[in-house]
Amino acid sequence: MRDSRKKYWVLWVFLLATFFSSFQQKKIENQNSLSAIKLTFANNVNGRKIIFNDSTYTNSFGENFTITKLRYYVTSISLPGGSQNVKEKNSYHLIDESKAESQVIKFLIPEGDYGAIQFLLGVDSLHNVSGAQTDALDPANDMFWTWNTGYVMAKMEGHSSSSKQVNNKFEFHIGGFSGPFSVLQWVLLDFPGETHHFVAGKNYEITINADINNWWQHPHDIKISEHPVITSPGKFAKDISENYAKMFRIEKITSGKD
Amino acid sequence: MKVSISILIIFFIGSFTLLLDAGKRNKQDFSLPYHPTPLQLKIPAGWPKPPVNIFANNPLTEEGFQLGRKLFYDGRLSKDGNFACASCHQQFAAFATYDHDLSHGFHDQFTTRNAPPLFNLAWATAFHWDGGVNHIEVQALSPMTAPNEMAENVDSVLKKIRRDTSYRRMFKAAFGSNVINSQRMLKALAQFAGSLVSSDSKYDKVKRGEDKFNPTEQRGYELFKLRCNTCHKEPLFTDQSFRNNGLTRNNFLKDDGRMRITGNPGDSLKFKVPSLRNVSVTYPYMHDGRLYSLANVIDHYNNGIQMSATLDSSLRKGIPFTTAEKNDLIYFLHTLKDTSFFNDKRFSQP
Repeated sequence: MRDSRKKYWVLWVFLLATFFSSFQQKKIENQNSLSAIKLTFANNVNGRKIIFNDSTYTNSFGENFTITKLRYYVTSISLPGGSQNVKEKNSYHLIDESKAESQVIKFLIPEGDYGAIQFLLGVDSLHNVSGAQTDALDPANDMFWTWNTGYVMAKMEGHSSSSKQVNNKFEFHIGGFSGPFSVLQWVLLDFPGETHHFVAGKNYEITINADINNWWQHPHDIKISEHPVITSPGKFAKDISENYAKMFRIEKITSGKD
Repeated sequence: MKVSISILIIFFIGSFTLLLDAGKRNKQDFSLPYHPTPLQLKIPAGWPKPPVNIFANNPLTEEGFQLGRKLFYDGRLSKDGNFACASCHQQFAAFATYDHDLSHGFHDQFTTRNAPPLFNLAWATAFHWDGGVNHIEVQALSPMTAPNEMAENVDSVLKKIRRDTSYRRMFKAAFGSNVINSQRMLKALAQFAGSLVSSDSKYDKVKRGEDKFNPTEQRGYELFKLRCNTCHKEPLFTDQSFRNNGLTRNNFLKDDGRMRITGNPGDSLKFKVPSLRNVSVTYPYMHDGRLYSLANVIDHYNNGIQMSATLDSSLRKGIPFTTAEKNDLIYFLHTLKDTSFFNDKRFSQP
């Protein structure tokens, strides 16, 4: 009786050990050839933290404003300009200032030298014409126009005494994926130095600073007093998209083991 | 004892294998294998192939169709439970709203346009009177979320239907697992709506050699081919284009039609050419339902055309009809009624 129970435990432990070691091996193998990237989008207004409803900011035209909603699509992430060009698979992310976890994007890249990080600000045209999508592209995320099919690529809402709209609201729902007023913008951010070397088995955090003040300026002056509401495709939506495409810069790249 | 230990070991080895296997497959498939019954969209003889296969990424199955059918007739897709898709799209009116210029929505509100009938949507290249919706799968989002129609939001609809065990069962039968999300809901609705094919009117029977027009209908058909067929192109009775057919702009609705979508002033007052199939039951007519009878419509083309910059070039002089011709044409238009479509039990409330 005792003997047979012993046999049972020996077998059981053996099986468990085999099972877990196979997992362990896989993990080590991955770490041997890949670096882990944690891409963090740090939204701010001219260096100030964004606190919804509460904090009042001032744009370069002296117009004060508060923010109640801030979302934008970051898609098709790649790391070009080095020894290789790596693309993130199924790369669709909705950055939402109200959800901290949405501001962090994690993926693995092969060890090597990379020159820059590139992404599309918005959702590629194919996914605007292909019917019902899911996850980041789920229409339930409230970033989808139902009356004129297409994604809202970026959205900011808030209040400003410069707005003469109801409750001093301002609202930017920026979209349009085709024709002369497409708001799709590619963003290319060079790494500091010629290239950055990513060592396998190490973790890297790339912090991207996004200054929301840029929505109103460079290259197009958009005053809240003149354009408090931009919620359909057209010239002003395109102008804003050319502004906010320039709001990003790489703040820092830090690395650590594990 | 030894036997039972062996059984245990076999059990453990078995479960490991299963676990490993499941890990390899994607999460959705981690359930019993499912075998939906594939369906084929029937393309009536002599009809063109649909311009795109709307089921390319949404394989048509009996289970998907039946799920879509249940959703189509379910008031829970609306905020107060009163407005199923079927409340404005009634089968006996070829899935238009019978005898209403504008339909009714949440809180006693009017819609802003006449509900179009639903059939032969697999051949449509854009949806809504202004073509603002570019894919059948996302069309349902529009009425579902419009404050004057179903007035709901997607998350709330999903919450309601997730509570219903029959939906959990049907989603699993249709898609292989009981995950209920917006994509699956919309794809199922598209399977139902895209399957609504109307192709069995008297006109179709005549074309197939199974019936004959009477002399009045025949004269009407000849007139139709001469004067209407450019825009209302056979066999779908629409060329799917957007045109300004000379209606005045309604000062209350201020509806600029296609221009609202394209932003192009050249598209002002253009609306999609509707199919004339089942036209005798889809009255009132036009994008805002302003014309109540087929006679009114023919009168409009005869002497009611309003000149404007974007008026369709084919209508600059109107389309003249004598009283006798008008009568003949109306007789022909009645042959486009497909009674078997209204009575098809597959499309009725489950």
